[in-house]
Formats: sequence, C-alpha cells, structure tokens
Amino acid sequence: MKITLNKVLPTPLASIAHNDNSIWGSFIELNEGQRIMLNASSGKGKSTFTTTTIGLRTDYSGEIMYDDKNIATFSPNDWAQIRQTKVAVVFQDLQLFPKFTVKENLLIKNQLTNLYSEMEIIQMLEALEIGDKWNQECGLLSMGQQQRVAIIRALIQPFRWLIMDEPFSHLDIENTERCLKMIHDRTIEQNAGFVLTTLGENHGYSFDHELKL
Amino acid sequence: MLNKLLFKNQDRKQLVIAMIGAFMGITFLITSIHYLIKVNEFGEGADILGPNTIMVQKKVSNSSSLKLTRTDFSPEELQKIKSEPFIRDVKPVISNNFDVSFQTDDPLVPYFRSDVFIQTVDQEFLDVKNINWKWKEGDKFVPIIMPREFLVMLNTFMSASGIPQVSDDLAKDIKFKFKLSNDDNTKKEYVDARIIGFTNEVSSLLVPGSFMKYGNALFSDGKEQKITQIMISGEESEFGLVEELLIKRGLESKNAQMVVGRLKSMVGTLFLVVLGISVIAVFVSGLVLIQYMQLLMSRNAYEVRTLLRIGYHPHEIIRKFFINFVKIFGIVASLGLFTFFIFKYFLDSMFETGGLYIDKEITLGSIGALILAYALFTIASYRTAKKGIFKEF
Repeated sequence: MKITLNKVLPTPLASIAHNDNSIWGSFIELNEGQRIMLNASSGKGKSTFTTTTIGLRTDYSGEIMYDDKNIATFSPNDWAQIRQTKVAVVFQDLQLFPKFTVKENLLIKNQLTNLYSEMEIIQMLEALEIGDKWNQECGLLSMGQQQRVAIIRALIQPFRWLIMDEPFSHLDIENTERCLKMIHDRTIEQNAGFVLTTLGENHGYSFDHELKL
Repeated sequence: MLNKLLFKNQDRKQLVIAMIGAFMGITFLITSIHYLIKVNEFGEGADILGPNTIMVQKKVSNSSSLKLTRTDFSPEELQKIKSEPFIRDVKPVISNNFDVSFQTDDPLVPYFRSDVFIQTVDQEFLDVKNINWKWKEGDKFVPIIMPREFLVMLNTFMSASGIPQVSDDLAKDIKFKFKLSNDDNTKKEYVDARIIGFTNEVSSLLVPGSFMKYGNALFSDGKEQKITQIMISGEESEFGLVEELLIKRGLESKNAQMVVGRLKSMVGTLFLVVLGISVIAVFVSGLVLIQYMQLLMSRNAYEVRTLLRIGYHPHEIIRKFFINFVKIFGIVASLGLFTFFIFKYFLDSMFETGGLYIDKEITLGSIGALILAYALFTIASYRTAKKGIFKEF
C-alpha cells in the first residue's frame, strides 16, 4: 500500500515557516516496504504527521492517499478495517489502558484478528525483557516497559505500514536495539514498511529513506 | 474484556438510584393502566345495555302533577341534550299504548302470567352488537330484554312452586308469549317471545321498535303518544357531566347506574392521576438512566478513543453500551412486572373483600405500555450510545 501526501499542511502548522525539504506542503510518496525515518526537532509536527496520516485529525489542507483513495472519504467502517489490518501505530503517549494488565492490553488488541497465540505474545515480551510483567497492571510499569508493551501491541496485527511516534524515547540502547530488531523482522515477515519519527537519532539502523519536517 | 474495560468506571450509587426510580415508575405504570382498564370495564357484560347508558325521565313535581309543567320531551329538547360533547347518543323511549300481558308458554315451566309494560330501545344502546334486535310480522318470536328484577320475581315464583330456579342462560331457553289486546279486549293476538338479555337499568320489558309500532298500530286507542322517557349514553369517565346535565334539566334516572357511573368516574380519575405520575416517573428515571449512560461514556472517553484507535469498530462499542443499558432496563422492567403481579394479587383480594369482582385477566394495555416504555428506552439508549461513541471517533 502506497501512502501519498499531496501538499498536506496541517492547519495548526500553517503559520510556521517550513524548510524547503519539509514534507509539509510537498508531494511525498511512501512506497510499500520502505523503512523511513522522519527526523525533526520538537514542535515541527511529528505527532501531527502520525495522527493526520492515520485519520485521527482532519484539520489539514491537501490530500492524503492510501493507494488511490483519499483518506478523507473513508467511513468509520473503513478506518476500523484499516487500523485492524493495514496500519499499525505506536503512539507517543502510548495509549495503553493503565488499569489493565500487560496481558489484557495485548489480548484486547490480538482478539481483533487472533494473529498470535498467548504463548507467542509472551515470547515477544520475553524477547524485550518484560516477560515477567505479563500479569502486571500497565499503569505500574516504568515508561520504558510501557513503550515496549505498546510496540508489541502494534506488532501483533497484520499491517502494511507501521507508524511509530518516538517509540524509543524512554529506552536504553540495548532495549532500543532489541525493539528495532523485532520491528525489522516483523516488517520483513509482512513485507511491510515503517515510519519512525525521531529527534535526530537513527539508533544505528540503516533506513531506506529519511524525511524531514 | 471489553465489558471490564468499559464498565469498571461506574458510580454504582447513581445507577442504583436511577434503577429504583425506573422500577417504581414501571410498577405504577403497569398497575395504574391495568386497573384503569379494569375500572372502565367494570360492569360490562352484566347488562345488555351499553356502558354509561341510562334511561331518564323528567322529575315529577307538584306543578307537573297539576299539569302546569310538561313531563314529556320535545324534539328540540332531545336535540339540545344530544349536542352536549359528553353525550354519545340520545333516543326517545316509546311505550306501549295498548294492553300487553306476558306469560310462560313452556311445558317445563309452570304457567305464569302478568300484565306488563313494554318499551323500545334502539340497537345502538345495546352492549352486544351481534344480536338480532329486529322483529317483523311473521317472525317466530319477538326478542326481548328482561329487567333482572323480573327474573328474580320469576325465580321466586318457581321456588314457591317447587321448581328449580333458572339461571340467565336457562331463562333464555324458556318459551314466553305476549298477549296484545285493545282496551275493551275485543281484539287480541298472541306473539311468541324469547329473552335475549337482561338489564338492571330499566323496569319494563324492552322490545324492538318495529314490534311496538305493530302493536300501537293495531291495538292502541289512537291517542297521541308522548315521549316521557329517553335513553342517554354518556362518554367514558364523564359521568359527572352527565349527572350535572340531569340536575340542570330536572331529569332523573335509576340511582344505581348513576352511582356506578360516578364511582367509575372517580376511581378512573384516581388511576388516571396515578398513571400520569407513573408516566412522569418512568420518563424522568429513563432520562436519569440515559444521563448515567452519557456520564459513563464521558468517564470512559479515553478507553473508547483508544479502542477506536487500535481498530475497534464504533458499532461494536455502541453495541456494548446499548446492550448493557437495555439489560439494565430489562431487569428493571422484569422486576416491575413481578411486583405488579404481587400488587395485583393483593389488590384483587382487597377489591373482592370490598365486594368488587374485577376480572383477573392481565390487560393487554398494561403489557403494551411496558413494551412501549421498553421500546422507547431502547431507541433512546441506542441513539445516546451512537452519539457518544461517534463523538470520540
């Protein structure tokens, strides 16, 4: 699935001066399977990019297309289907249910598609060194642990694109590497692409493409 | 898991208060509608004349005895009475202008004969519409409506003769006949008759108008006939107005029917007030439940939004809220219905003890009201859930 941004300019960012190489107001194509880094300093619209691209915000000018379809025309039905099977997201504020355990947070997502078994999900947690947190409330975990839960939640669905908004901001280098490896493997497995927004750090990963805001 | 997520954040106290309100409203709603219908049905079927039907005449005063005032009705007076909004129909009652006697004509029943007074009643005033209230010359028998007191008298006579007394139904099988004659008995005719119903409202035997016309044409002395009695049927629950009209126009009726009419109007009004309060209670408690639903959705706004963001379909979340509240109202409605049955058991016993034998069948109206209240709540909760969820989309 190709994502195209045709002269997109979010209304809250309209008054800010953008660089010539900024994606805002330009024609940008995100081709299937590409691993893209979106690099920008704070306040340039990284989260706005995430929320606008996945249809959570509609206050922009220009067009965002999934293949040949303008996302402005999608119905709630279409969005539910897209968020279940086409586009996975790691939100900057993680959007976990704090009173739910890690297990419940992951199973409530997995039950939409039943892509993985409980055992496989536990193995993913173990790979990110949080296997022992399975029955712990998410609200009681550290931010780094919550980020890893949020990453796994995004990965346990079928997707063509994985969009991550500063997903490693609370992770150390080792855990970031573990997460990136898991993300890399899953995207290869699904022949999917991803967009990772950062404050400039490439985390030692070799991206196909870098975009700026 | 979705239920745990969406309904864990509840203030149970507010929910319980709303449920108690709805429960009380529903209980009184069903009870009041049930007894309102029962009160209106009270007395129906016992009398062949329609409900709220009375026969009235002008009060006989000293001046009318001295022929200073009239005791008969003019066509204008009938028209004026008929024009009142609470009057359904008015018809003159025609009396016999010839001699009539009524006698048994059945080998199974001892001979009994009495001079009687016969009057006509129109088909519209009869409660049973499918009876053949017609007569023409050559017919096998004349259908008659007998005053119940006449049957009591007949039974007293039967009992004294050592013959078993007869019920209403058996009395309808007894063969009777009328003897019609003129003043000097030079001209007479026998006509078979059968009872088709009973009345408590009239003291004379009632016959179809065509039979009276036939008798008056052949056996009367030719004097002009005056209308001294009229049949009135009033609107349901407006008997007080009918009574006021009677007083205003100096008319009188058999007291029993007036008392029943007045009692029905009074009890009916009482249940109507209870019904009004119940409707308000159901409405308000329904609103509180809906408001509670809105509050619950607003408390769970984060959870709803996140579910939508991770791929849950809005309709699935709407369904969760909708079903949860429909279940709550279902529990309230079931409890209300159950309590109504308990109320009914005690109220029916109390009415029976007080001598009021009300039919014990459940009224469709009360069940219909419950279904309507449930349907309205269902629609309101679906619309509220839909609005609340799509707000977070």
